[in-house]
Amino acid sequence: MEVFLQTLVAGVLKGGLYALIGIGMTLIMGVMGIINLAHGQLMMVAMYITYVLHVAGVDPYISLFVAMPALFLLGCLIQHYLLNPLLKVETILPENQVLMTVGIGMVLTEIVRFIFKSDYKSVSTGYSNATFFLGNISFSVALTISFFIAIAFTVAMFFFLIKTDIGRSIRATAQDKDAAVLMGVNTGRITIVTFGLGSGLVAAAGSLLAPVFYVFPDIGGPFTARAFIITILGGLGSTVGAIFGGVTLGLAESFGATYISMDYENIIGMTIFVLVLLFLPGGFKRLTKV
Amino acid sequence: MGFGRKSTFIFFALVLSVLLVNAAAAANIKVGIVLPLTGEQAKFGEIEKRSFQMAADEINAKGGVKGNKLELLFEDDTGKPDVGRSAVEKLISRENVPVLTGAYSSSVTAAITAVAQQFKVPFLVTTGSADEVTEKKYDYVFRINPPASEYPASVITFLQEVAKPKTAVILYENSLFGQSSSKSFEADCGKLGIKVLTKEGYNKGAVDFKPLLTKVKAQNPDLVYMVSYVMDAALLMRQAKELNFNPKVFIGGGAGFTLPEFQKNAGSAAEYVYSATLWVETVPYPGAMDYFKKYRAKYKEDTEYHGAEAYASLYVVADALKRAKSITPKDVRDALAATDMMTAFGPVKFVSYGKKTQQNKLPTFMVQWQKGSLETVWPKEVAKKKYVFPVPEWNKRK
Repeated sequence: MEVFLQTLVAGVLKGGLYALIGIGMTLIMGVMGIINLAHGQLMMVAMYITYVLHVAGVDPYISLFVAMPALFLLGCLIQHYLLNPLLKVETILPENQVLMTVGIGMVLTEIVRFIFKSDYKSVSTGYSNATFFLGNISFSVALTISFFIAIAFTVAMFFFLIKTDIGRSIRATAQDKDAAVLMGVNTGRITIVTFGLGSGLVAAAGSLLAPVFYVFPDIGGPFTARAFIITILGGLGSTVGAIFGGVTLGLAESFGATYISMDYENIIGMTIFVLVLLFLPGGFKRLTKV
Repeated sequence: MGFGRKSTFIFFALVLSVLLVNAAAAANIKVGIVLPLTGEQAKFGEIEKRSFQMAADEINAKGGVKGNKLELLFEDDTGKPDVGRSAVEKLISRENVPVLTGAYSSSVTAAITAVAQQFKVPFLVTTGSADEVTEKKYDYVFRINPPASEYPASVITFLQEVAKPKTAVILYENSLFGQSSSKSFEADCGKLGIKVLTKEGYNKGAVDFKPLLTKVKAQNPDLVYMVSYVMDAALLMRQAKELNFNPKVFIGGGAGFTLPEFQKNAGSAAEYVYSATLWVETVPYPGAMDYFKKYRAKYKEDTEYHGAEAYASLYVVADALKRAKSITPKDVRDALAATDMMTAFGPVKFVSYGKKTQQNKLPTFMVQWQKGSLETVWPKEVAKKKYVFPVPEWNKRK
C-alpha cells in the first residue's frame, strides 16, 4: 500500500509539471494548427535564465517572474519575425512552420551551448532536497509547490481564455481562423500573442523544474516529445485537457516504473500516445468538451 | 577536348599540392583522437582532451618522437556511434593517421574500433569500457582501461571484508556500459552469495526515480549498486534521501559518481556514497600526483580517472611510435603490442586472457564522499581516510 501511494504521489506531482509544459504547447497547436518542436528548447532557455539569476543570488521562484516575460517576448519575436513571414511564402511543403521550429530549437540549443559550454549546471536551493512526510509518504517540497503553481497557472489560463477579450479572440482563431478574420479579429496579432503565452508558460515550467532537476543544453528534446504526447492526450487547444494529459502521463510513467520496469518509461508514454490516437482521436477534450 | 585537358591539369595541381603539404608537414606525426566534445558526454570529452593536450605538450617539449613532434587531430563523435564512425573514417582516409586513440562511450567505441580494424590502423582505446570491445579478436585494437566487469574488483573485497551484505539491488543506465557492468556485477554477487533482489535499467535523463526507488526501498536491501552517469547519479541519491531510503551502503560503479558535478548537484545527498574508481591521485604510480597538480594548475579544475587514462594513453602511443620500425600502421601496431611501461595511470601491458585480447590489467580502488570531498578509502594500502561504515541513516544526520 505504501509503495502504491508513494507511486501515486510521485506521478501526480510530476504530472503537474508536465501539465504546465503541455498547456503552452496545446495553446500554440490549437491556435496555429502547427506543432511547436522548439517547445522543450524554449523551456531550456528559461532554465538557463533561472540558473544565471540563481548564480546572482535570486531564488528560482522569483526568477519565474523574469523568465516568463523574457520568454513571452522571445516567443512573440519568433512568431512575428520567423514564423508569420513563412505564411506568405508559396512552397511545395505545406508545413514550413513546423520545419522552422525544428531549426529554431537547434539554434537555441547551440547558442546556449556556445555560451555555457556542455557543462551540467545545478540550481541547488535550500528546498531542492527538502521533503515533508504525511504518514510514511514522502513529498518533495519543491515539486509540491510547483504542482500548486502549475494548477494556479492553469486555472488562470482557463479564465483568461473564457473571460477576457484576447482570450476569446484566441479561441475564435483556434476554432475557425477565417470566421475570426471576418469578425474583425486581427489573427496575425493573435498568433503572436499566443506563441508568446505558450513560451511564457513553458518558461514557468522551466523555472520550477530547475531546482529539482539539472540544467543542460540538450535537455529540451525529451520535453518537446512529452509536451507533444500531453497535447495529443488532452486534445488540441484544451487547457483542462492538458492537465489531464499531463497527470495521466506522469501517473503512467510512475506506475510503469514501479510495477513494470523503469526500462520501459519511454515505451509507456508512446504506447499511450498510439492508443489515444487509435481509440480516442481528439483526446480528453472529446469527453470534457472544454 | 578542352574540358578533359583542364581537368587533367587540375588533377595534377591537386596531387602536387597534396605532396607539397605532406612534405612540409613531414616533421609531425599525426595522432587521431575521437572524443565526445559536444553533446551529453562532453564533460568527459573535455577532461580527456585537455589531458591529451597536456601530455602532447610535455612530450613535444622533450623533443617529441625521434625529433618529430606529435600533432593531435581531435574529432568530435558527439556521443553517437554513426558520427564516431565517419569521424574515424575521415581521420584514416583523409588525414592518414598512423595511430588512433581516445573513444569515450562504449557504444561509440564498439562502432569505431570496427572501422579501425577494417582499415588496419591501430587503435588504443582510452575509456570505452564495455567488455565486448576487446572480445572481438581485433588485432588492431588495444585498451588501456580495464573492462567494465573488472571495475568493482575493489568493491568485491570491500564487500567481503567489511560490508558483508546479504541482499543487493542493481540499478543501471540501459546503455552498453550500464548493461555490461550490471550483468557482471550480478555474476559477482552470485559468487559472493549475495542475493540480487532487483536488477533494473532506466533511460538516462529521467526526471523522477522515486517510483523505482520506492519499489526497491520496500525490498529493504543491504546494498544498492548503481551504474549511472553523473546527473542521473545525483538525482538517484537526492531522491533516495528524499524517500529516507537507508540500505547499509550505496555504491556507484564508476562513471558518474566521482565527478565534482555529482557532488555539486547532489549536495548533502552525496555524503558517504561509495564509488568504484580506476585511479585516484594518491595511487603509488610515478607521475600520478604530478599529473593531478599540473592539471589543476593549468585548468583551475580537478581532474579524475578519465583524464589520467587519456594522459597515459598518449604516453603509451608516443612510446610505441618511438619503438616502431617505421611510422606505418602495421609497425606501430606491432610496437603497441610489445608495450611494457609504467604510466601515471599505472603499469601498461597488453595481455590476452579469457575471451579478451590486447587488454591492459589494472587494480581498482574505492572512494567515498566525506564532508564534500572525495576520499580514497579502499584498499587499505592506498587509503587516505578510514571508510565510514555503517553509514548513518538520512533522517538521523544533522
